Amino acid sequence: MRMRTARSLLAVLLVGSAFRSTEAQDPRLSNRLDAPTRKALSAIVDSARAQGIPVEPLMEKVYQGLAMGADGSRIVVAVRSLTLEMGNAHRVLGAVATTDELKAAASAVHAGVPAVELGKMKKQSGLRRSLTLPFTVLADIVSRGVPVAAATNAIKSLVGAGAKDKDISDFQRNVSVDIEKGAQPAAAAETRAKGAVVPPPKAENREHE
Amino acid sequence: MVQELQRPVRVDDSFDRRVMVRVRRIYAERRHRGIVGWLAAAANVTRRPAWAAALAAGVVAVVSLSVLKKSPSTVPANGQAIPVQFVLVAPDAHSVAVVGDFNNWGLNDTALVAENHDGVWSVSAPVHTGVHRYAFLVNGKQWVADPTAPRAADDDFGQPSSALVVEASTQ
Amino acid sequence: MDSSDAALVARVLHGEVNAYSALVSRYRDKYARYAVHMLGNREDAEEALQDAFTRAYRSLARCEDPERFGAWLFRILVNRCRTSGARRVRRGQTFVHDETALLNASEEHPAEQTMWREEIERALGELSADQREAFLLKYVEELGYDEMAEITGVGVSALKMRVMRACDRLRVLLREVHSA
Repeated sequence: MRMRTARSLLAVLLVGSAFRSTEAQDPRLSNRLDAPTRKALSAIVDSARAQGIPVEPLMEKVYQGLAMGADGSRIVVAVRSLTLEMGNAHRVLGAVATTDELKAAASAVHAGVPAVELGKMKKQSGLRRSLTLPFTVLADIVSRGVPVAAATNAIKSLVGAGAKDKDISDFQRNVSVDIEKGAQPAAAAETRAKGAVVPPPKAENREHE
Repeated sequence: MVQELQRPVRVDDSFDRRVMVRVRRIYAERRHRGIVGWLAAAANVTRRPAWAAALAAGVVAVVSLSVLKKSPSTVPANGQAIPVQFVLVAPDAHSVAVVGDFNNWGLNDTALVAENHDGVWSVSAPVHTGVHRYAFLVNGKQWVADPTAPRAADDDFGQPSSALVVEASTQ
Repeated sequence: MDSSDAALVARVLHGEVNAYSALVSRYRDKYARYAVHMLGNREDAEEALQDAFTRAYRSLARCEDPERFGAWLFRILVNRCRTSGARRVRRGQTFVHDETALLNASEEHPAEQTMWREEIERALGELSADQREAFLLKYVEELGYDEMAEITGVGVSALKMRVMRACDRLRVLLREVHSA
């Protein structure tokens, strides 16, 4: 029994603490977070790390909460939520997803986009193309009121048509301007997506012009 | 004898932490050198708005939405920082700072303090490749999202923020 | 998340410094063994190992084959151990063993095991640094001669000679212990 306890303790110690190592370096964490908050965050961050979820975004969330004056419990809720969202993203995007893609995907999940849709987009786009920006834009237009289905379809059609990041950035800017001018969000997204995926005229057609 | 020598040797539990303290120090030094080097170049043309200083120094200023012109001179290698310009129109503000993931949301020494040019506040700073959340802090107390950038879909703390994507590879 | 060496190296070079901790965890115990036997004491070994990890991080962009990060790191450690200075063997020093290995070890009385371990370390300490290095790489780390040559920069025939001399010397030293 003693040996089993010792082994469990050893396992806990050996996992180490990503949160505690950062805490040791940054006085903000020890000065402004109470002990129960630090303990809770340490457990969440270490658990995330053990699952292979990158912990840097979680620490960034902690710092954001501190800067914005949030209390400890709110920071814990936010970090826990982000961990779940990144975990969901990780499951559907697979081992090929970069940390940035996971962060952006978590943002889209947070906005209400089903993680499974993000996985479909990743499969559709192939391994070479990063979906960091498309996922970021997806989260943005949903937060501006474009219904999740319309937003997902718009981004999917852009990615599927091979739109570059610049095109998707332009799409986001145009949709947000249209909505500010009073357009229905769904209509703005659908219209701009159609316009963004129009293929260039073929060379033989141009000769006849 | 060999079997004895092949038995595992476990290092002290704090070993990883000690290594990572050193590694993070190197990382921070490299980042600091990048920012200091850039600021040193900008400081050579003081008393001008940050954006003008950036242009004068030959630095490419990029509008805050994030996607870079994909030219070899501006595409950063992995892990490098490239200059990004943050702009907020706030004629009535007394101070504007940019705070985000890229400076660990630091409010004091590491906040990016914008310069005012007739109500147009701007600051440029090197930002590493990746996805970053950030916001403007107006008058030291009001959080404002960047109106020209994608919104960060997080309402975790009841304050708005924006998303910045700085990518390394051409697409 | 792909946790291969190459993937982790890519993430670190991409600016994700915390990904480096996974590489540290992966290799520290394995290479601690070599450092401890080479340098003769835990403190020097841990310092050499820390130094190797730090140097590897500094020059990570120069790792030509990230999939073989481990071998590249080991080369750095071997060089670090060479420059670490005189070996000191501390009498009475015990090492922390892996519990499972301890449970599966021989049925000898633990005190005898510790004494045997100390004698082996003392004998290793009697070898020249070159012979000790060659012996450890060949028999403890179980590398081939080509790998050893790549890591040490020494030719294969010279390495074979060092290994042979190390074995001869150890045989003599340990026979003396047993006959004493």
